[in-house]
Amino acid sequence: MTQAPAAAKPAKLPRGEDPRNPNHRLAAFFDEGTLELITEDDGSGMLAAVGKVAGTHVVAFCSDATVMGGAMGEVGCKAVVHAYERALADRAPIVGLWHSGGARLAEGVLSLHAVGEIFHAMTQASGKVPQISVVLGPAAGGAAYGPALTDIVILGPEGRIFVTGPDVVRSVTGEDVDMLRLGGPEPHGRRSGVVHILTESEAEALERARGVASLLGAQGTLDVKHVEDVDLSQMLPESKKRAYDVHPLVEAILDEGTAQEVHARWAPNIVTALGRFGGRTVGVIANNPLRLGGCLDSLSAEKASRFVRMCDAFGVPLIVVVDVPGYLPGVGQEWDGVVRRGAKLLHAFGEAVVPRVTLVTRKTYGGAYIAMNSRSLGATKVFAWPGAEVAVMGAVAAIRILHRRKLLEVAPDIRPQVEAELAAEHERIAGGVDKAVEIGVVDEVVDPTVTRTALAKAIADAGIVQRGVHGNIPL
Amino acid sequence: MAREPRSADIVAEMVANVMTVTVEPGDTVAAGDTVVLLESMKMEIPVLTEHPGTVSAVKVSSGDVVQEGDILVSLDLS
Repeated sequence: MTQAPAAAKPAKLPRGEDPRNPNHRLAAFFDEGTLELITEDDGSGMLAAVGKVAGTHVVAFCSDATVMGGAMGEVGCKAVVHAYERALADRAPIVGLWHSGGARLAEGVLSLHAVGEIFHAMTQASGKVPQISVVLGPAAGGAAYGPALTDIVILGPEGRIFVTGPDVVRSVTGEDVDMLRLGGPEPHGRRSGVVHILTESEAEALERARGVASLLGAQGTLDVKHVEDVDLSQMLPESKKRAYDVHPLVEAILDEGTAQEVHARWAPNIVTALGRFGGRTVGVIANNPLRLGGCLDSLSAEKASRFVRMCDAFGVPLIVVVDVPGYLPGVGQEWDGVVRRGAKLLHAFGEAVVPRVTLVTRKTYGGAYIAMNSRSLGATKVFAWPGAEVAVMGAVAAIRILHRRKLLEVAPDIRPQVEAELAAEHERIAGGVDKAVEIGVVDEVVDPTVTRTALAKAIADAGIVQRGVHGNIPL
Repeated sequence: MAREPRSADIVAEMVANVMTVTVEPGDTVAAGDTVVLLESMKMEIPVLTEHPGTVSAVKVSSGDVVQEGDILVSLDLS
């Protein structure tokens, strides 16, 4: 990423040539020649338009950063509300391009009221039409909470999101911090979870927004005949105990080159990605053993919950790839609300009406077993690969509890042997995939070489995809 | 724009046992190389580098128990 030093600020360009001019940004976003303004280009700080994205009808609005740094007054806010009315009427995705210092100070409470009306419009539209935000410059105050209310937030390299900027922070608390550290890619991509997708250029940010708008706005239909099998077991290591990166598996399940990961760097122990499967938009949720062993914890449960609810609201079927050792235990997690936040995932799956198919690749234990779209939460279908473990906990850990007294009595040198025997016996009775099939919590054991077609058939057999009737609160 | 950092600490993401340390001070590493193998949640979890560089210090050895946030390996970034 290259950037001119801050000292050498370029001379102010005429508005027509300024790259921050919303006419330019909207034109760059839409398919060439399809842009049609739906509000006046009147210096109100906002400009709204309709147009096509890869042929799909989309509504968009853009801050006018050439006027008062994109600050939002009454008229500009009304332009955004108008864009929302249009998106709802057209049932079209709506995309906001943000570069704004927030409410116009000179207009006083009137501007706050107007910004609040945007928030109201966004909330009323939540779950009805896909809402995507692209933050291209500083977005403070109202311009921060606007994107935060939407389904997907994409950050350009110059994008900065904060409640108040460094100057106010310094005067209020004395804390000395720059815009990058306060609200740039690192804090929001990795720590806060405010941003779903980080990008390296403004062009890439717009391209990613087009991709998401197309995935959610033009979902297509699943053509089972076009789903080809590959040997997905190649994506896993030989040792069952060895952690691995789940991304190649997620990419191999989806149609080639279609994966669009969201929240990639935040709570990375779970992977959430949109993509195409047999040509249709689906969402994939996968434990990632490489990070924290793939355990569920408070943040990953919250991240997955929001993704599940978004997909459910827009009628996007889910594929849930499970390899989970359990919930991360400990005081840090308990104090962080792992029970409250973990409950969100139970709630999200429990309420979802879209087809949601589970694939257990290696293991699924305990409370995390239930949370990862189990049969009991109403999974459409639960598949497991041969040899997968479905249990309350690993067999050795289980027998150490169940046979604690007996194990204390045996001599230490033969204890491992006794443990192994007890574990084998325990697995025969309580664990193992055969037992799970027998009691009906796993529907079918599928070979990794035919898993793609099995998943496709399960989604297709679920029939017409329903949509959950609920908003998508930014959990 | 902030200055690019010249060094980086690779820290433990969670409480874990150190199984093996696969680098020594002076080793050159590429992004994605394994520097330490941890054991936690009944799994062997490789800790990977995010950036290429040279190992300047190794702070743990096999058998150690590390807490979340403990520094495992320090790098001078290339």
